[in-house]
Amino acid sequence: MKTRPNYAAGIGSFVWLLIVAIPLYVMISGTFQTREEFGDNGPLSFPSSFTLQNYADAITSGFGRYFLNTVVVTVGVVAIVLLLVPPLSYAIVRSRSRGASFVFRFFLLGLAIPAQAVIVPVFYLINAVGLYDNLLGIILPTAAFALPICTLILSGTMRDITGELYEAMAMDGASPARAFFRLVLPLSKGGISTIAVFSALQAWNGFLFPLILTQSESTRVVTLGLFNFQTQYGINIPGLLAAVTLSMVPVLLVYLFARRALVQGLMGAGGK
Amino acid sequence: MTTLATRRQAAPGGSTTSRPARSGASSVGRPGFAWALPATIFFALFALVPLAAVAVLSFTSWSGLGDPEFVGFENWETLIADPVMLKSLWLSLLFIVLGVVTQTPLSILLGVWAAGNQRNRAILSAIYFIPLLLSSAAISVLWRALLDPNFGIPGQLSWLFGDGNLLGTQSGAIGVLIFVGMWQFTPFHTLIYQGAAKGIPTVLYQAAAIDGAGTMRQFFAITLPQLRNTAITSIILMVVGGLTTFETVLILTNGGPGTDTTITAFYMYQEAFQSFDFGVGSAIALVLVVVATLISLVVVKVSGYDKMNSSLEGL
Amino acid sequence: MNNRTWMSRSLAGTAVMMLGFTLAGCGGGGGDASGRPENELHLAVYGDASNKVEQAMVDTFNETSDVKIVLDTIPGADYQTKLQTIIDTDSAPDIFFNWGGGSIANFVEADLLMPLDDLIEEDPQLKEAFLPSVFETAVVDDKSYGIPMRGTQPVMLFNNSEVLQQAGIDAPPATWDELLEDVEKLKAAGVTPIALGGADQWPTQMWFQYVFDRVAGEGLFQAALDGDTEVWDSEESREALGKLRELIDAGAFGTNFDSVKFTDGGSPTLLSSGRAGFELMGSWAYATHLDANPEFAENVLGYSEFPAIEGGEGDPDNLAGNTNNFYSIHKDTRYPEEAAEFLKLMYSDEFVQEQIAIGNLPTTTNTEEFLGEASNPEYAKYQFDLVKEAPHFQLSWDQAYPPEATVTIHTAVAQFFSGQIDEDGFIKAMQSL
Repeated sequence: MKTRPNYAAGIGSFVWLLIVAIPLYVMISGTFQTREEFGDNGPLSFPSSFTLQNYADAITSGFGRYFLNTVVVTVGVVAIVLLLVPPLSYAIVRSRSRGASFVFRFFLLGLAIPAQAVIVPVFYLINAVGLYDNLLGIILPTAAFALPICTLILSGTMRDITGELYEAMAMDGASPARAFFRLVLPLSKGGISTIAVFSALQAWNGFLFPLILTQSESTRVVTLGLFNFQTQYGINIPGLLAAVTLSMVPVLLVYLFARRALVQGLMGAGGK
Repeated sequence: MTTLATRRQAAPGGSTTSRPARSGASSVGRPGFAWALPATIFFALFALVPLAAVAVLSFTSWSGLGDPEFVGFENWETLIADPVMLKSLWLSLLFIVLGVVTQTPLSILLGVWAAGNQRNRAILSAIYFIPLLLSSAAISVLWRALLDPNFGIPGQLSWLFGDGNLLGTQSGAIGVLIFVGMWQFTPFHTLIYQGAAKGIPTVLYQAAAIDGAGTMRQFFAITLPQLRNTAITSIILMVVGGLTTFETVLILTNGGPGTDTTITAFYMYQEAFQSFDFGVGSAIALVLVVVATLISLVVVKVSGYDKMNSSLEGL
Repeated sequence: MNNRTWMSRSLAGTAVMMLGFTLAGCGGGGGDASGRPENELHLAVYGDASNKVEQAMVDTFNETSDVKIVLDTIPGADYQTKLQTIIDTDSAPDIFFNWGGGSIANFVEADLLMPLDDLIEEDPQLKEAFLPSVFETAVVDDKSYGIPMRGTQPVMLFNNSEVLQQAGIDAPPATWDELLEDVEKLKAAGVTPIALGGADQWPTQMWFQYVFDRVAGEGLFQAALDGDTEVWDSEESREALGKLRELIDAGAFGTNFDSVKFTDGGSPTLLSSGRAGFELMGSWAYATHLDANPEFAENVLGYSEFPAIEGGEGDPDNLAGNTNNFYSIHKDTRYPEEAAEFLKLMYSDEFVQEQIAIGNLPTTTNTEEFLGEASNPEYAKYQFDLVKEAPHFQLSWDQAYPPEATVTIHTAVAQFFSGQIDEDGFIKAMQSL
């Protein structure tokens, strides 16, 4: 479509650009200043010196370990989601049993159960099976609470596989399992990458489960590390900003190298 | 991208069009219920069973020490008489409404704008995307540091912020939370709309252009209606997200000033884990679940989700 | 198709099983020592800069012991929450940090703590090596439950001496009226008279602790704590609230204190940058300033006792703050003897020296000998004398009450300062405890 440039939209998007970019600028420029300088000049000023000390401080205060823990949690959650959701969605879309339709409603309502609501019993459950203060204790409930939204997204994708395709498979006398692996999975790649991105982000951002279900330094994840950094070393604002910036780096790397998959995965959330 | 987009395009209403072809019984074996079982049990274990336990706990008095003690409806009576509880529900509602009305128009405009082809839009979109790379905890910590009235941004822009007492007044604190929510989530919703807008067939615009419709007309006559389903999904996500906002409140305002930003989800945490009243905390948790269920039922009715469900039964 | 019945049965069965499982997990999860790891003692402490001394003590202990202590540093903001959540489960620590008083009262009541009196009988030093006023804080129902560790942290009125000078104030205020005069002078000089991290809420509470103590004496709060909530509505209580209101209305704290935090450096920077004259804060403020701005801490930062209030019943030498922190032992620990051995390190010379080296002020009777080794001996001596001479050392309100009262107290003090509630509102809130 060829239309004249839309000035109103252009100005609007420029204003939003400022709103997004200024805090990011403050964040990044703050990390390169000493505490005194940052305090004296104010956050919006240009840095007049350059130091990497804040990053060194953030890293030595344990963030390396926290990153590793977060990565373990994220990988674990994504693995569980990818293991459980595709067969579930397959059953929801293709099964004729009433159970499947019941299960779909069940997960639809599950969307409305906030993790906060059940955190007390979940704590005692995790504690009873000896997973308190253990990364697996974060992984399991985080994955469980990622299931409803992922199921909805993937079922939407799988619904679009037409009956003709299944019939074509039938020529070979395909079993449900064969149809699943040869037909459904390959055709649901888009949806599967969407749920992988979605559950990964949930795990990456997870705060409440780690807050309640872990306590020690060795199981601390990045989000909790930031929260504690604020209360323990909060007075060191540039150090805090450096920690925040560092927390962004892994996702940024994924973004740079797998931008397409990430963006499309997120976009996919909107289309059902 | 194109396959994804067209598929999505076909999905909401389109799923019914593909349905008739399927109604002829195919001879591929249907998966049994066993396929759904592992995920269902897993979810039940961490959501449903605990939910049942929460229901039981809401009739007990328990501080986490010793055994829960059955107290009948005492917790519920406490809650009904508790002005903070009622206030927290209103605040939650206010947060959801303000979140939706600020983020939705902005995301639609930005998303549609970014769906255009110009190169500068791609670069700007990449910058818009950055807040998505930060976790809620990181964003809250960042804004807390930037909002100090004396040494943060308000201190430097006193012509705009006055004495900078943003987090010390109710309207200021709510404004900050809404703004930070907008800053954090608009990129995501923009992306959803951008994807959907790209999927709108260009023929529609071409036809409209031939009829002499301007940009504005096209936007209202074609783009918006085509984005309807996307908007429903986006709003559901905003509502659920708004209802369960927790760490943003914990880190930015701690529910204050006073109880002026104590939304229900935060109040539940406060009662359970700061005041160690797991009984009342559980009762609040149930209220939260009921409200969330009601909202999603309404949304499901209004949206296409339940159609999806009924067409499933026709299988 | 039997699918359905089979499914509903198995689902129901699993659900019932899991529900039972979860509920069994709730409540009384701990119970005995069997669930605890062998040859390990878990030591839970509040995570902050003091942890290096605790780690050093643990290392010293582990050198000679077969039962090894594992140090679990729990993030500070979360400490009390975490502790109460896990203390009656198998994940409970064997030895844990606390504030004495209300912070352990619930645990004593739930019979989760080991009384230390037998240990003290065997080794009287466990009691006698500590200042009595401090040791008393962890005595509940005439039984001792805690051994002091770390340092005492009285709350003092810090000042920026340069700012005071410029405003024509020669010495820190000795009386409330002088404080009010100083507020006027500082306002005239164009600075915020008193920095306050109101968003943290507990700094606001410090003002209540002192004003109530000065006006009504320590008896009022103790009576309230013992259950006589009528005292909040007494004449003295209203007078104390009136004094506070007078100070707030005089503009002593400026207008935006509810957006300022101590914990993110907001209020201490106000003081050190010369934009405020005073700040009421715990003794750790010195270390905070030393860390952020050594020059200011060493040359400009001043400190004094909270001013006397004319006609008040409280002794002007009374203190408020954190009397000390304590170690308590969980009743279900596998290794009570080893735990007791560890506690004996708390009055060792090594421990005292290490604490002083990082700026803490231990409360052992031999502390005085080592004060010269502090980074600022003068400051250490000043504090130690305050604590030693104080007729009464009021534990912070939010520590004196059990933890479930904290939210109510913090909300009430903050709302009173911001004007959201008046005297009656505050009294009603405190009476609800």
